[in-house]
Amino acid sequence: MATLTPDRSELVRQFGLDKQNVGMLGRLLATGNIARAEEGPDGRMTAEVHIVPDQLVWDPSILVLPHGGELDIEFVNDDQNTHCALVPSNGDSQWMWLPNYSRGTIHVTLDGPGQYWFSSNIGNDEGRGLIGAIVVMGDVPASARLDRPPQPRP
Amino acid sequence: MTTIEYRQAPPPVDFGSLTTATGTAPPVAQDVTYERILDARSEPQNWLTYYGAYDGQRYSPLDEINTQNVQRMTLAWVFSFSPQGLHAGQSTYAFENCPIVVEGVMYVSGWDGWVWALDAKTGQLLWQYKHAIPFDTSLCCGNVNRGVAVAHGKVFVCTLNAHVLALDATTGECLWDVTSGDVRAGESLTVAPLVVKDRVVVGSSGGEFGVRGHLDAYDLETGERVWRCYTIPKPGEPGSETWPAEGEAWARGGGNCWITGTFDPDTNLLYWGTGNPAPDFDGEVRPGDNLYTDSVIAVDADTGEIRWHYQCTPHDLWDYDSNMECILFEQDGRKLLAHFDKNGYCFVLDRTNGERVRIFPFVDRITWGEITPDGQVTARIYPEAEGEEVHFHPGPAGAKEWTHAAYSQRTGLFYVPVQDTGAKVARRRREFKESIPYWGAAVTVDAQDMAGSVTAFNASGEEVWRWRNDLPMCASVLATAGDLVFAGTPSGKFVALDARSGDLLWQFNCGSGHHSSPSTYSIEGKQYVAVPVGWGAWVEGFLPGMMGGPHGQAMFVFALSDGIDSSGGR
Repeated sequence: MATLTPDRSELVRQFGLDKQNVGMLGRLLATGNIARAEEGPDGRMTAEVHIVPDQLVWDPSILVLPHGGELDIEFVNDDQNTHCALVPSNGDSQWMWLPNYSRGTIHVTLDGPGQYWFSSNIGNDEGRGLIGAIVVMGDVPASARLDRPPQPRP
Repeated sequence: MTTIEYRQAPPPVDFGSLTTATGTAPPVAQDVTYERILDARSEPQNWLTYYGAYDGQRYSPLDEINTQNVQRMTLAWVFSFSPQGLHAGQSTYAFENCPIVVEGVMYVSGWDGWVWALDAKTGQLLWQYKHAIPFDTSLCCGNVNRGVAVAHGKVFVCTLNAHVLALDATTGECLWDVTSGDVRAGESLTVAPLVVKDRVVVGSSGGEFGVRGHLDAYDLETGERVWRCYTIPKPGEPGSETWPAEGEAWARGGGNCWITGTFDPDTNLLYWGTGNPAPDFDGEVRPGDNLYTDSVIAVDADTGEIRWHYQCTPHDLWDYDSNMECILFEQDGRKLLAHFDKNGYCFVLDRTNGERVRIFPFVDRITWGEITPDGQVTARIYPEAEGEEVHFHPGPAGAKEWTHAAYSQRTGLFYVPVQDTGAKVARRRREFKESIPYWGAAVTVDAQDMAGSVTAFNASGEEVWRWRNDLPMCASVLATAGDLVFAGTPSGKFVALDARSGDLLWQFNCGSGHHSSPSTYSIEGKQYVAVPVGWGAWVEGFLPGMMGGPHGQAMFVFALSDGIDSSGGR
């Protein structure tokens, strides 16, 4: 599941940046696991995201979508504290309580491509580590692209 | 071992439902038609379109607040907003909006995809819409949006990730959503749309990323694109001779249309300014005049064809976009337009054919070159040798940034927010890569030795008065029939000046710098003046001496003190 390079992962571990209250007070953002959303035959996507006990981190903390569109995320709070989920979505962000040992599903709509952040926006959950990324891959529709020859990318 | 029983979490909610929003606005936008916008100034209680009217004058016939009583003007209400979580351009957002008001309802766009409907009398939040904006969207100049358009029961707004939306004006619900640009190419949208006939017209942003600029018209009801006007011609098209015949400089040429244009129904022409060529400062890779960058283009509103153009800075080497407004006015029976350009000169053109009428400078220091009254352009100081630093005035933000001048029909004067700031630039060639900034230079803008003013000019180009400010003036001004000129300063002051003398009559410290466009309206005969306050955007470009200034994020609304109702909220 993890895709960090071995050297970088090892250094993050050595410095204690991937655990609460070891190297720093919380844990480094976006150093958790990475996973790809499942895609149904109709293109609608689903994912399951947990809160790891005593780690104040989403698992996965980086969720990859193959394209923009409709996404159902089931959040599961495995922690012994209350958190919540604030997830961007076209129209309005979606927000849900996540009491200890609870689960619930949020439906969101996101454009692609691009990167979005979701979080637990209470206390300093965000600063301690409960900020995750939703990464949308793909391209804009052909009708939205510039009329020009293909250009070099970085 | 105890088995943990998981419970169902409470159901998710729209985050906006956890506010005081009522959820609905009165259906006042239903009857806003093209015909009403054509005659917008006949209903001064409203501010129906971006500039208040198609002519771009930013002039209101309202005169309840005037030179005799403006000292009694005080705060009526404040709408303050601070988003939750991370958002794109966290350090660079600014509140650049111009509030649209229809029969007591104010429609406002914020940074990062926010749109709000407010009770314009009390400040009560009616509904809000939030478009999810990717954190990694390419933004040259901050997380900003300059406003919405309202017609046919809809609110039209552009998003930073290059979508155009139509929202239900009573609920904020999205009715259609079209992808207009390519974020992978570095395109974005920051412009306030302009409704003309049965279309909504928008222009793209992204000139600093080497895109190919365009202006688009979409059907109001369906979102279907009706026409697209590229501002950089392809090889073989008219104007292509001003680009290198070999290579693909044209394909990365910039010329974006990121500020709202004006419109004359008699000529059926849209008057739109175009942006800088790309790369901004390295002209050696794009020899030629580089049409239609840095130009006023007159675009057929029905077909999107360019009927005429006037290029203000041929072969630009200083980042002198010409996006700023074209103010339509008449003089001696001629249909004219006035355009105050970044390069420090005002261009007065015959708007029927683009013929030059006069050119005059409007800032004290112009060292980059000279434009003679007959339109001859001579470049004197510009980045040329690789790595060799040159210093010139005005800097890349221009003698006037995008923020707008105003024209009073009572005084016949133009009121111009002026920036007098220089910059050091050294050419630094770089390879073009999609979505990566493509300036072709190292740039540092002066943080000392700067000045600003609101300066009044008559239509002949003569300075009539000047209200001086220590810092450059970086916000739009507003003129009213009360013979007042309203302007915001970078330090946060909102001031009212005597339109005939420039005397300071009133001021209020809003706590954050101004980089927006105030508007005015009335409800039940009572006049209000609204100004979005929120310092930010590409401050490093137009006023680095205020990079540390407080951001702010609020709509301030003022009125004469009697009869104010600040009961918004609960």
